[in-house]
Amino acid sequence: MFHQTALKSVTLVILLLGLGAYVQTGGYYGRELVIEACILAMLALSVDVVAGYGGMISMCHGALLGAAAYAFAAMTALLGWPPSLSFVIAIVASTLLATAIGAVSSRTQGIFFIMATLAFGQMVYVMIFDAPMLGGDDGMAGVKRLNLDLVGINFKKSAPFAFACIALLALSYGLAALMLRSGFGRTLSGVKANEDRLRALGVRVWWVKARAFGFSGLLAGIAGVMAAQHTQFVSPELLLWTLSGEALVVVILGGLGTLVGPLVGAIALVFVKHEISSVTHYWHLFIGIALILTVLAGGRGLYGQFEYVVTRARRRRAKDHA
Amino acid sequence: MSDTGFWIVQTLNGVQLSLLYFLLSVGLTVIFGLMHFVNLAHGALYALGAYVSVTVSAVLGYWGGFLLAPVAVAVVGIGLYLLLIRRLRHADHMNQVLVTFGLIFVFTDLFRIGWGDIDLGLEPPTLFSGQSTVFGVVYPTYRLFVIALGLVIMAALALVLTRTQIGAMIRAGVDNEDMAACLGIDVDRVFFGVFCMGCALAGLAGVVAAPVFSVTPAMGDSVLIPALIVVVIGGLGSLRGAVVGSFLVGFIQTFGAVIAPQLAAMITYALLAAVLILRPAGLFPARS
Repeated sequence: MFHQTALKSVTLVILLLGLGAYVQTGGYYGRELVIEACILAMLALSVDVVAGYGGMISMCHGALLGAAAYAFAAMTALLGWPPSLSFVIAIVASTLLATAIGAVSSRTQGIFFIMATLAFGQMVYVMIFDAPMLGGDDGMAGVKRLNLDLVGINFKKSAPFAFACIALLALSYGLAALMLRSGFGRTLSGVKANEDRLRALGVRVWWVKARAFGFSGLLAGIAGVMAAQHTQFVSPELLLWTLSGEALVVVILGGLGTLVGPLVGAIALVFVKHEISSVTHYWHLFIGIALILTVLAGGRGLYGQFEYVVTRARRRRAKDHA
Repeated sequence: MSDTGFWIVQTLNGVQLSLLYFLLSVGLTVIFGLMHFVNLAHGALYALGAYVSVTVSAVLGYWGGFLLAPVAVAVVGIGLYLLLIRRLRHADHMNQVLVTFGLIFVFTDLFRIGWGDIDLGLEPPTLFSGQSTVFGVVYPTYRLFVIALGLVIMAALALVLTRTQIGAMIRAGVDNEDMAACLGIDVDRVFFGVFCMGCALAGLAGVVAAPVFSVTPAMGDSVLIPALIVVVIGGLGSLRGAVVGSFLVGFIQTFGAVIAPQLAAMITYALLAAVLILRPAGLFPARS
């Protein structure tokens, strides 16, 4: 069950302020890293909502992100629609797509759920890959960014765009926290803990799962639209199952079911990847080993382990007082 | 080439691809069915087989690689088993998926470090290097060898599983692990043997595939998903399911690429989704 503890709030604020400070000091390349980290963090956050709090391990979140990115790209680059309208429609589209995938996949469990989401994600990938109108293998260029000249923000510059990414990441976190604290979020936790019992209580389990998946698709959609605007280019690789796997890896490295953990994981991954890449091309090797060690060490992840140590120390101190 | 000749060639291609998928998925499905272990690194072991065969055959010729690569892959499999998989035997699926996903990362980069980031090739053995005429069409002899080998292994596995004591123990373990253990079967040891065999078969698939496809660090990724689809469609732990699943996926991919390239991949995934939702246990569930 989700609680926005003081520890979570403090960590979140430090992370967001740190990213903001890096935008100011890190130069152009630093801003690119911040944008990349924010987009990955939003995707990981959306994975954590379903995986950490709903027990649904998804292998289709890359496809959800990619679908929103492609929808946005098609509307701005092909149809010439205004980016703001396209933004909304793209997110609605990924939400509906995720709800549908969640509704159908909710009939399966465990490893079969993973396989089902993989199948649907790959179907979206193949569909977009094979659509010549969308550029197929080559992808699609000429994606427009939002025009915020009216409020005096030049969105074509990297600093305002990076700040917008940080703001959207904060917004995504807020939405996810509100959802998980609501009655619906508690029901979702219940479904994760004991599906049969919730069903016996009269809860329509498949509909809870579908809606949670839809909400997750909304967050993945925001990440997708920002990804499309960032490079102003979309390619089918965005939808591949390996991106979904990478998002899951980020969640695990940061801490599954902690909501702050995915942010920690994404920021750590992007910056460590950048550091390792300057030494060796083989950074996947390190990520792979880190992943295996994390799971073998109990699977709490960076933030999860931190939270575990802090709460244990606090509990021990409380016991000593008593 | 005449029209019927074209379809005969495509059929042979389909059979060959199906049997390759069979070699890969049969180990995966029994590991899956016997111990509910999800080994995503199976594709990486296949790639390892191909790489080892490339190196060994440079010294000992094709047949040296053919014999040694499955052994080498099985040895690596034993190492993985003792180091990681034994500990994850009773962990939940997610941890198994994650650790073996991590192994894919590790293996892919190790291939890059060891053999470079380039496409390697392997010459088929001189014995099978030419072309043969079958059913009135000219077809590469090596691919006929792949078909024959696949059929022989399929028959051998069917015999072992249905006619020997080991086979009965494996089937008992798949059907009901606890009951089999109560009857005095050392399920852990049976699993260990099956796991090694599955690794060796993945390695063998790698050697056999090396002359047909190019050997690249990512070659394991490209077969992992079809192999998983075969396993799920056929039903976990079921030999018959692996056969039927392999042929379904192999033929859909081969003929789909010819008839409707846009639809081929789509149909495979749609089939997977349909089976998962309508018959979650697969077409031929091993467990009654």
